[in-house]
Amino acid sequence: MIKKGILLLLLAGFVVVISNLIINFSGSSELNPLARYYAENGPTEVGAANLVTAVVVTYRGFDTLGEVTILFIAAAIVGFFLKILNSNNNRTSSLRKPSEILETASTLLVPTIFMLGTYIFINGHLTPGGGFQGGAVIATGVMMIILARPTSEFNHKLLSILEAISGIGFVLMGVLGLILASGFLNNAFLPLGKLGNILSAGAIPIIYVFIGIKVGSELTSILNSLKENQNEV
Amino acid sequence: MTQYLSVEFIAMLTGFLLMVIGVWGIISQKNLLKIVIGFSLFDTGLNIVIVSLSYVKNSTAPILDKAVEVSDAASKIADPVPQALVLTSIVIGLGVTALMLAYVMRMFREKKSLEINSYNELKW
Amino acid sequence: MVNPIHIVSIALGVAFALGFLGKRDKLSLGLVLSTLAGMVAISAGWFIHFLNSSVEPLQIFTGGFKPPFAINLQMGLAEATFTLLINVAGFLGAIYLTKELLKTGKNMMLIFLVFILGLNVMVMTRDLFNLFVFSEIQSIALAGLIILDPNRKSIPSGFKYVIATGLISSFLLLGTVFAYYFSGTLNIDFISQASLQYVKGGAVAVFMVILAVILELKPFPANGWALDVYESAHPGIGALVSGIAGTTSLFVLYKLIPVAPFISDILITLGLVSFVASNLLGLSQTNPNRLLGYSSIGQLGLLSATIGMQQLLGDKFIFIALTILISHFFAKAGLFWLSGIINRDDIKDWAMLRKKPILLVLFGVFIFSLIGFPPLPSFFGKWSLIMELSAGNQYMLVTSILIGSFIEGIYLFRWLGYAIKLDFSDLPEFKLNISKFLPTLTWGILLIATGVVASAEMEGLSGLSYWPLIFIAFIYLIDELPIYIKNTLSIAGLAFYSWLTLPELYYTDMLRFIFMGIFLIGGILTLIAGYAYKGKRRGFYPVALIMYAGLAYIIQASTTLEFFFGWELMTAGSYFLIIRGKKSINHALSYMLFSIGGAYAILAGFGITFAETQSMLIASLSQLSNMVPLVFILLAIGFMTKTASLGLHIWLPGAHAEAESDVSPMVSAILLKAGVFGLLLLMIAMGNNPQIATIAYYLGWLGALTALVGNMAAAFQEDAKRLLAYSSIAQLGYILFALAMMSHLGWLTAMYYSINHFLYKAILFLTIGAVVLKVGTHSMYKMGGLIKNMPLAFIAVLIGIIALSGVPPLSGFGGKWLFYNAVIDKHWYFQGIIVFFSGIVAFLYLYKLIYSIFLGQLKDNLRHVTDISLWFAIPIYILIIGIMIISAKPEWLLQPLGKMISQWYPNGALAWNGGLATSTYGYWNGNGVMITIGIMFTTILIWLIVLSRKAQKVKQFNIVYAAEAPQRPETTHQSYNMYAGYNKALGWIVAPKITEFWNMMSDWILSLAHFTRLIYNGNGQRYLIYILGYFVIIYFLVF
Repeated sequence: MIKKGILLLLLAGFVVVISNLIINFSGSSELNPLARYYAENGPTEVGAANLVTAVVVTYRGFDTLGEVTILFIAAAIVGFFLKILNSNNNRTSSLRKPSEILETASTLLVPTIFMLGTYIFINGHLTPGGGFQGGAVIATGVMMIILARPTSEFNHKLLSILEAISGIGFVLMGVLGLILASGFLNNAFLPLGKLGNILSAGAIPIIYVFIGIKVGSELTSILNSLKENQNEV
Repeated sequence: MTQYLSVEFIAMLTGFLLMVIGVWGIISQKNLLKIVIGFSLFDTGLNIVIVSLSYVKNSTAPILDKAVEVSDAASKIADPVPQALVLTSIVIGLGVTALMLAYVMRMFREKKSLEINSYNELKW
Repeated sequence: MVNPIHIVSIALGVAFALGFLGKRDKLSLGLVLSTLAGMVAISAGWFIHFLNSSVEPLQIFTGGFKPPFAINLQMGLAEATFTLLINVAGFLGAIYLTKELLKTGKNMMLIFLVFILGLNVMVMTRDLFNLFVFSEIQSIALAGLIILDPNRKSIPSGFKYVIATGLISSFLLLGTVFAYYFSGTLNIDFISQASLQYVKGGAVAVFMVILAVILELKPFPANGWALDVYESAHPGIGALVSGIAGTTSLFVLYKLIPVAPFISDILITLGLVSFVASNLLGLSQTNPNRLLGYSSIGQLGLLSATIGMQQLLGDKFIFIALTILISHFFAKAGLFWLSGIINRDDIKDWAMLRKKPILLVLFGVFIFSLIGFPPLPSFFGKWSLIMELSAGNQYMLVTSILIGSFIEGIYLFRWLGYAIKLDFSDLPEFKLNISKFLPTLTWGILLIATGVVASAEMEGLSGLSYWPLIFIAFIYLIDELPIYIKNTLSIAGLAFYSWLTLPELYYTDMLRFIFMGIFLIGGILTLIAGYAYKGKRRGFYPVALIMYAGLAYIIQASTTLEFFFGWELMTAGSYFLIIRGKKSINHALSYMLFSIGGAYAILAGFGITFAETQSMLIASLSQLSNMVPLVFILLAIGFMTKTASLGLHIWLPGAHAEAESDVSPMVSAILLKAGVFGLLLLMIAMGNNPQIATIAYYLGWLGALTALVGNMAAAFQEDAKRLLAYSSIAQLGYILFALAMMSHLGWLTAMYYSINHFLYKAILFLTIGAVVLKVGTHSMYKMGGLIKNMPLAFIAVLIGIIALSGVPPLSGFGGKWLFYNAVIDKHWYFQGIIVFFSGIVAFLYLYKLIYSIFLGQLKDNLRHVTDISLWFAIPIYILIIGIMIISAKPEWLLQPLGKMISQWYPNGALAWNGGLATSTYGYWNGNGVMITIGIMFTTILIWLIVLSRKAQKVKQFNIVYAAEAPQRPETTHQSYNMYAGYNKALGWIVAPKITEFWNMMSDWILSLAHFTRLIYNGNGQRYLIYILGYFVIIYFLVF
């Protein structure tokens, strides 16, 4: 009881601390200078119609590189756990058979989902979406495969080569930006094109394709690892 | 008082509430999975807070198309920066959650227990 | 110059590319290692670039836009230094983990690489959100590295780590986004310009950011998760966490301070609390990795407090922070690496290090570096820190830093003692893997090298020559050669140094001449005895020479820094000398603790002096006008730990008694004089100050009581060397008493006694030591009747005790005469009576000494022992000649001494007429006394010989004439429980009350440590609650 009281007191303290933030939050009636700069110069400097994409891939592209790296090492760590399990145990699979509806529907849906995901990351500089969103959509397709055919094996080699190619591709784009344009991850070493066209915004579509593949394959490998882990438990 | 009835304020309050619930889960639940869920709630709340920071009154998404012309973009769109940040934050949250779950699975394998109290070997 | 962004591009490129390599692990590792080497090269290039020119830091605009529109990285001298440290440690750390990485495969390799990369970017980035991203990379990668060695312990601790850092980074993120909301930027420099601390809500936002960074530094008590990681992860990972991840977090904290400047004050408190508490908890640890964890957290606390003190420290900040940081960086990683090499769970098993002696040396270097001994960098850092803080009158901070460091010393030296002394025969053999050894060795060398570089930066160290230290390093390198070569070289070294210094000092500075003479000539004489030993005597000569070098530095010091440098060097050397004795482990520890405590008192005293006079010259002590009594007391306490005055003496008997035969005279006859010299310097500088008179009066009493208790305790000893050790305490009590008189005669007595004590205590310890070597025991009742077997030893002891006791005709008599004159002159009758009485007590133990060893019945087992080694006899008889000279011609010594003392006390000098000294109260002619006594003695001797011509010689077992039965010596030997009656009557005076007091103190501290550490109950959730509580409480403290 006393312990609960202390915890509640602590929680109340936490609420007091964060309430300072919310009390002083008054919304904004106009953009701050930084956002204004992006709104005014983004179209000409970066050429992406989706300003969030301009920020994500170019202005703050370095964060995005870090983000991809986080997924990458998270997948590597989870994969490492998996590896230990495989070496330690012989697997006994006793999973329930998936329902027929799911199995049938997945054959229909998975290609569509993959296509949607690809669309999302290719059009990331024009419409809401981008590499992460597209990659995540693709991963839901993988999720569906796992649910529908729990025994299916993914080609590890292919996955890791996809991861490698897309990762290196991303870094390479960054370096090209440094060499050919004004800085690491600058997209303007390819023509910026006309705002709103699919072939515009310089290297952003290419980068987003890499990110999409990267995220898709990392998420797949995490899901796969967790799945194989679960077979054991 | 009217400021407290605006969209962004309500969104933010929701986010903060989720965060507080998450923190409560983290400090009071004994089940490892529930603790992880507490973290997820906290993250989600935080992400909602970040998104609500980006809102500018009467603005629209920061995408330049027919609805928003390049010339008057600055007066029409919401702040794109928090939206970019939240993307990163979501991905990081995902990575951390995957990591936590992987750990929990491993721990469960070792001891067949999901109680956090049963992992106290190292102390003092 | 390669663009620093390529640190990122090559690291990530290679990390991603490992996917192509499949299962080719060796190739992958090679690639990772060469990438790390490339990263080292890039940061090294920039480091050299910035070192040579003071150009503006390079700004790297990612995305090609200027801040605040895009993320920028910065590469300046600071960033280059830190990335260099990180990358070198990463490179060597990977080499260290070669075997483990090959076993676990490429996933771990790429995690390792990304971990190092994350740290690099954390250092370089100037963007708050980017900082968050890369610190997440770093902490997730670390969560992976923890399970490099997946076992029952590391997996739960990894989970605790993940949830704890998850919570902390959520605070960071929340703070960051609100900082963006309130300032409209994410760039650190622009946020600082926005001065968010004045914005409502903005202050809370930056508070969250900075507190998250502080929490990353594992402050007490919100750090249970980190301790578990240190304990359970592979030590190679522990090295990275403690060494480079901690270092990086410190740099981040430093970088972020401008964002939330209001945190500085509380940061100092938090850091110091963490420093003291973690070290306290370290006391009760036995697991080496967890112990290192506590020590590491303590150091991080000290360093974060230092960052908080940035304003206080001014220009010196960078130097102080860097030297302490670098010591921590190298030493902690090195210790973790050592732990990985021997791989034991108990610090007592570290005796294993002795199977590979070089590891023991490295261990010593790392430990001494953490405590801050010269010439390692943290010595200079701590010195400057204390000086600057004192200059700012921050005495509370000084006190807590010194207390924390002292506690750290306790467990580190206990540990070092275990490694040096405990039995290691049961411990397994181990192979020294080159990939594990090389990084550790490199770290040791770099540590010393940085120390040398740091010393070049110090003011007030210019007078110090490094040649003695280089000579010592040379002697260490030839440690494998036989004794006679090393001994000859060492003697030659001391002789050469004497030749360099003594003649000059003779004409310029009598006081220093005399003490330098005692130290160096005494050193040579005691080293001669070393020829008696056989084999290699590994490690002896370097440490003995370190002590002598320290002593010489003390004499030559003109600044307080040089003095302290020498003082600490001397302490380190003598510690190693003392711990060489068979049962010395605890004595050496208590010696070290008293020494460190004393050294810190000295440091504080010098600090206060510097604060007022702004000068490091020793002479500046005399210009002090405020807080004179405090400084005097602090310094006096510091020096009295070496003179072993009552209350601070408990280390001495054991340390001196258990030391090796030729070490006892070194540490007794010679080393103790360092304290006397210090007291003299102190009194010369401050003696004129009227505020000192009262303190001196009490010092006089302390000296008198020390003399009494020391002598009485000596009388009850069964152990010959212990007896001499107590006798030393008492003799130093006389000297303290005489010094405290602060008069011409008093000081003349003190100087005369110092020289005299040096001579006869060296004779006695050398002789008894030599006897002990022959008979194999210290216990006097196991000896007896050795006069015929050891005439040389007998004569030496006889002369020694005559000189000590103060009966005519030898030098002690002159001392007594001077002494009584001084006492009467000063009117200190009560104290004088005590000292007089203790002089009588001295006869008891002196009689016991000579009687029980040389007279009485010869023991059966000792029937065939021969006389003491010639190599001991040579220095002994040289010293005897010395005694004879000053006994016969005291004026040769006393006249120059008197002239010297007249500088400070012109009144009350002796009047000399040839060999006749006249004081107000009487006169004395040493030569005359000697001749008179000589004639009397000879007459009586001749008379006795004539008388006893008809005497019958009695064999030992002729029980008709002998009353003693030679069996069962314990009960029948007269010196067994000798003076039992006196003990009954007066034993209470020497009851070990002071020892009990110190024991009680240590028990109390230990139980405090035991009690406090219960907060770490191992529950990961509890640790989260601590983090949250820390966050909330600090919030309420700040706002």
